[in-house]
Amino acid sequence: MTDREDPLDAIIDILKEPAGLTPDLTVLVMAEIERLPPPGAAATSVPWWRRSWTIRLRPVHGLGLVGGLAVLVLAFGLAGRRWGRSASPGEPRADAGQLTQFVLVAPEASAVTVVGDFNDWSMSATPLERAERDGLWYVTVPLVPGRYRYAFVVNGTVWRSDPEAPAGEDEFGRSNSVVTVGGT
Amino acid sequence: MSGARFGFLPVFLLAAALPPIARGQEPRLVGRVPDAARTQVDAILVAARARGLPIEPLVDRALEGATKGAPPAALVAAVTRLRDELVVVRDAFGATASTAELTAGTSALRAGATARDLVRLRSLRSRRPLTVAAAVMADLVAAGVPADTAVGAVLALAPDADDADYIAFRRNVHRDIVLGASPAVALAVRIRLATETADPSSPNSSGSGGSRKRKP
Amino acid sequence: MEEHDGVLQRRVLSGETRVYAQLVDRYRERLGRYALRMLGDRDDAEDALQDTFIRAYRALGRCEGPGGFGPWIYGILVNRCRTHAAKRARTRDIMVRSEMELATTPVASSKGYDGLRDTIYRALQQLPAEQREAFLLKHVEDLSYEDMETVTGVRPATLRMRVFRARDELRKLLSETVLD
Repeated sequence: MTDREDPLDAIIDILKEPAGLTPDLTVLVMAEIERLPPPGAAATSVPWWRRSWTIRLRPVHGLGLVGGLAVLVLAFGLAGRRWGRSASPGEPRADAGQLTQFVLVAPEASAVTVVGDFNDWSMSATPLERAERDGLWYVTVPLVPGRYRYAFVVNGTVWRSDPEAPAGEDEFGRSNSVVTVGGT
Repeated sequence: MSGARFGFLPVFLLAAALPPIARGQEPRLVGRVPDAARTQVDAILVAARARGLPIEPLVDRALEGATKGAPPAALVAAVTRLRDELVVVRDAFGATASTAELTAGTSALRAGATARDLVRLRSLRSRRPLTVAAAVMADLVAAGVPADTAVGAVLALAPDADDADYIAFRRNVHRDIVLGASPAVALAVRIRLATETADPSSPNSSGSGGSRKRKP
Repeated sequence: MEEHDGVLQRRVLSGETRVYAQLVDRYRERLGRYALRMLGDRDDAEDALQDTFIRAYRALGRCEGPGGFGPWIYGILVNRCRTHAAKRARTRDIMVRSEMELATTPVASSKGYDGLRDTIYRALQQLPAEQREAFLLKHVEDLSYEDMETVTGVRPATLRMRVFRARDELRKLLSETVLD
């Protein structure tokens, strides 16, 4: 194989483009480490990352690294819209707003739907679409600013909250997750 | 007597023929909320509307209970409790508060904030939006931060923070927790960083807030 | 360059904490690119990257061996990305994303997300993780197979096979759209 003639080289060149991640990274890292003991200090008997790992698995701290992302769904720049009313029962309520994607990885599911404050908790209003691979289900919903509780329902019977999103209030014995869309 | 009874019959039949909303019923509850609960919920909604409260959160709560198969009594109790909380939050946030702000406020209440805390938040935020600030109170508590600490943090940021700052703050606290800090310590450190200096992770300073940062 | 890394590393270990910022600045772009291409999500990548630098700082005294700081911190990042993927698999992650994330999410169709880069990013995400990892380290990060072994703990022969399969799979995935 002669790499120079391989059309994949053009693909690789694109993949080599800068990622352009946050310019604040160095500041963020230094802010973190300034409150840590010096790396040359006596090590603890339990490796730091193992202690962190234990915490990571605690349900209440399921707001892991990905969990921060659920938070970042929060949208800006949508000025002053109030919740709209459903055009008809069960339809996603927001007729305009931040497009928010709900994703569930459930390889063995035959059907997945999301129910929540944005669709009258309707089991039929917002079915997720299945991707071809990886057992991934997704749906995109426009949400106007507000705090929405939601849950996934798999195969019409199995309720699933989001371990990576903040927990929302529940009084009926089936836990919720919550997403907040900012701007109002 | 019998004539009088028959005299009401046409009115009764007319009422039965009216659509639910004309009879003071919330149409979205029909066929979903059990009859045993629906009458009471409708009454709560009518009274709430008369008091100037938003009914959307109450309808949502009833529908949530219905979808989750809650017993009628539990469903009514949940709607009643939320109605009571909305009253508290509306009094704290003021009559002009949006439905989203009121709803987020009820979450903060349930997480441990007091009515006085919400009044304080309203005061510190002046005319700025409250939805995210109140939501962050609740989310921090859900992440394991003690309620009084979470409330204190949100209030400490209230004078200057915008929604993006609150979101960055919450995200950083979550990250610290994941990295091994106790929730209380994570919060204390982040508050110090946010109040002593401009939070470097703020989308305002990075130019990467909200959806703007997410496009590769 | 490796020696220079070592000098900075020793200064940090001797108490000059702020010097660590130079190491972060030196490696952030390359590591960030790998994290973004590997995870397909900007926020995940930033989280993994920050986590990696902090973990590296904590463990800096254990950074030894002929490869020096570079391959060592690559190894931490690779593990962070693997952990992320494993965690998703274990918990069958449920995530919330903005619409923008669709561009880097493996989806059945590309409706509404035309564009060369989006197509390439999606194809990359459709590779099995171990193939994507090997492909990126070899062709995007330009590591030698020896360094890749240090970073991944996988034998060079296996890595070569993964790279080969990744290239083959990418050709198939992109044959009708990009490589025509």
